[in-house]
Amino acid sequence: MIRTHNLRKIYRMGNVEVKALDGVGIDIGKGEFVGIMGPSGSGKSTLLHMLGLLDFPTEGEIEIDGIDLGTLNDYQQTMFRLYRLGYVFQDYALVPELTVMENVCLPAMLREDRTYEQNREATIDILKRIGLYDRRDHLQGELSGGQQQRVAIARAIVNKPDILFADEPCANLDTENSRMVLDLFHEINEEMQQTIVMVSHEDWHKEYFHRVIRLKDGVVVEDTTT
Amino acid sequence: MGKKELKVAFFLAWRSLIRGNRSSVFLNVLIISMVFTNMIFFPALIAGIGQNITRQIVDYRISNVLVEPKKGNDYITDLDATLDLINGMPGVERATPHYTMGATLKFRGRIVGATTNAIQPREETYVSPLYRDMVAGSYLGDGDRGEIIIGSALAGSANVLEADEYVPSLGGVRVGDSVTVEYVNNFKRDYRVKGIFTTGNYDMDSSVFTTWADMEEVTGGKLDKAPYITVKVKPGYTDQFVKTELLQYGVMEKVQTTSDVISKGMGRALESFSIIGLVSMMVSLVIAVVVLFIVVMIKTLNNRRQIGILKAIGVEKAVIMHSYGFQVIILASAGILMGFLFTGLLVVYMTYYPMVTPEFSATPFVTASDLATNGLILFVASVIAGYLPAWQVAREKIQDVMRA
Repeated sequence: MIRTHNLRKIYRMGNVEVKALDGVGIDIGKGEFVGIMGPSGSGKSTLLHMLGLLDFPTEGEIEIDGIDLGTLNDYQQTMFRLYRLGYVFQDYALVPELTVMENVCLPAMLREDRTYEQNREATIDILKRIGLYDRRDHLQGELSGGQQQRVAIARAIVNKPDILFADEPCANLDTENSRMVLDLFHEINEEMQQTIVMVSHEDWHKEYFHRVIRLKDGVVVEDTTT
Repeated sequence: MGKKELKVAFFLAWRSLIRGNRSSVFLNVLIISMVFTNMIFFPALIAGIGQNITRQIVDYRISNVLVEPKKGNDYITDLDATLDLINGMPGVERATPHYTMGATLKFRGRIVGATTNAIQPREETYVSPLYRDMVAGSYLGDGDRGEIIIGSALAGSANVLEADEYVPSLGGVRVGDSVTVEYVNNFKRDYRVKGIFTTGNYDMDSSVFTTWADMEEVTGGKLDKAPYITVKVKPGYTDQFVKTELLQYGVMEKVQTTSDVISKGMGRALESFSIIGLVSMMVSLVIAVVVLFIVVMIKTLNNRRQIGILKAIGVEKAVIMHSYGFQVIILASAGILMGFLFTGLLVVYMTYYPMVTPEFSATPFVTASDLATNGLILFVASVIAGYLPAWQVAREKIQDVMRA
């Protein structure tokens, strides 16, 4: 499903070159729940951003379902993200002026292949599944951190994406809420065969992953099935 | 950019306005409304002053077309024949002669210099609204002898001390009083004050009117000459048309339309007024553009990360840009509507309480075209000012804005 070949990302800071990724090659199959782990500065988030079309490699190729992401223009990239990818960020990244329902519905509203009613049904289904249907008319400021992250997950999967990317989604949550979020990911993965690629630096998260790709200094140092 | 995208952009804009900082929204609308009011009000007031001055000149001085003697002559001679010729021309409502002479007026120890205007009272009613401006007594009749009408400023008030007067007056002349008039040709006579008028123009309100027949007594014989003739144009005809007709039909005098006279006498002043109005409008517009640019710039900079997130989840940059654009469109529309209201209230207020000076009393002159033009200019300027920063941020790379 996801294949990268010789992926390199070099940042220039003045005259100094920083190699964030240095020849990464990975393959991720459909339905896998993959954890990308490693110490700070190892290139975890950079890799996730490359895979999720949020950033572009200096060198190398990324293919998703046989499509070379480097060949897509700006508009095609946007549509690819909208129709095929979902994202969950560390800081939830909800729109504060929108209610829970509106936040979840937002990406679906832009799809050409769905009607208003279909969007509404899909949103209600997901909100019920994550247990926040009763809070559908609440604003972000009226929710706890865990609830906000669950809303962010609901928003990420409302379009039924091929791949769900999560960039340290539990970084701002306590253990109880982190477990709740990870349980939700596990449930989605199991029930919907949802492919999930998640960046984490917490070792105990490994118990949820099918597979762990460990990075160090921009290089894959370990790729193990758990 | 389809209908769906525009709907989402509007949805985001509307939610941001109604659920965002309401005091900020109100202040933005207030600023735009004030700018709109300023754009309209000052030029409208200047236009009102210009209109008032023009109206006074038309009503009380020269009417639509002024006929004066040829260069080198003091008077239009063969007056009756000239009047017959002019009155017979197409487009002419009425032509009336005026004869002026300086005089000194005496009343209960007060002595004041004034211009005495001889008119043909009934004919004059076709040309000037003076007969409607009587505040006491009545207007002159053709058969009146030994009677005058005087302006309220010249009549004065018994309650105002001489030292406190803006212009010298006779200290409170009333209808029926007798005033001694001594002309510059040393002819002297007592006249009964038949009426007192107020036009709003101090020059006019400091003058005296008498009948043509009484002036013939002053000049000592039939008065078949006049220093000028005022011509009223019929509705549907232009001043220029009548001027051309007069010249073509053989009127050998100097013929000028109102705008000819105004452009010579008041042209530069009115031009300066319109320049001041234009500068005021431009300054207002710049203020609106700068304020909106800063407001949207701050908003987009504060929301840079959120803009990055929206782009990341598949919201097109055009949708993001239009969402900010719609916010400005809504703010500008609300501000302009509120500005309409403020302007309307000001115009109503100043209609009842006009700006009064010794020379004129003015109310703002606002046309639907002024409102539409200024509203459109402000709207377009606001939208540009709003779109620019939104476009700048929306086109940045996702990673750049998300790191903000």
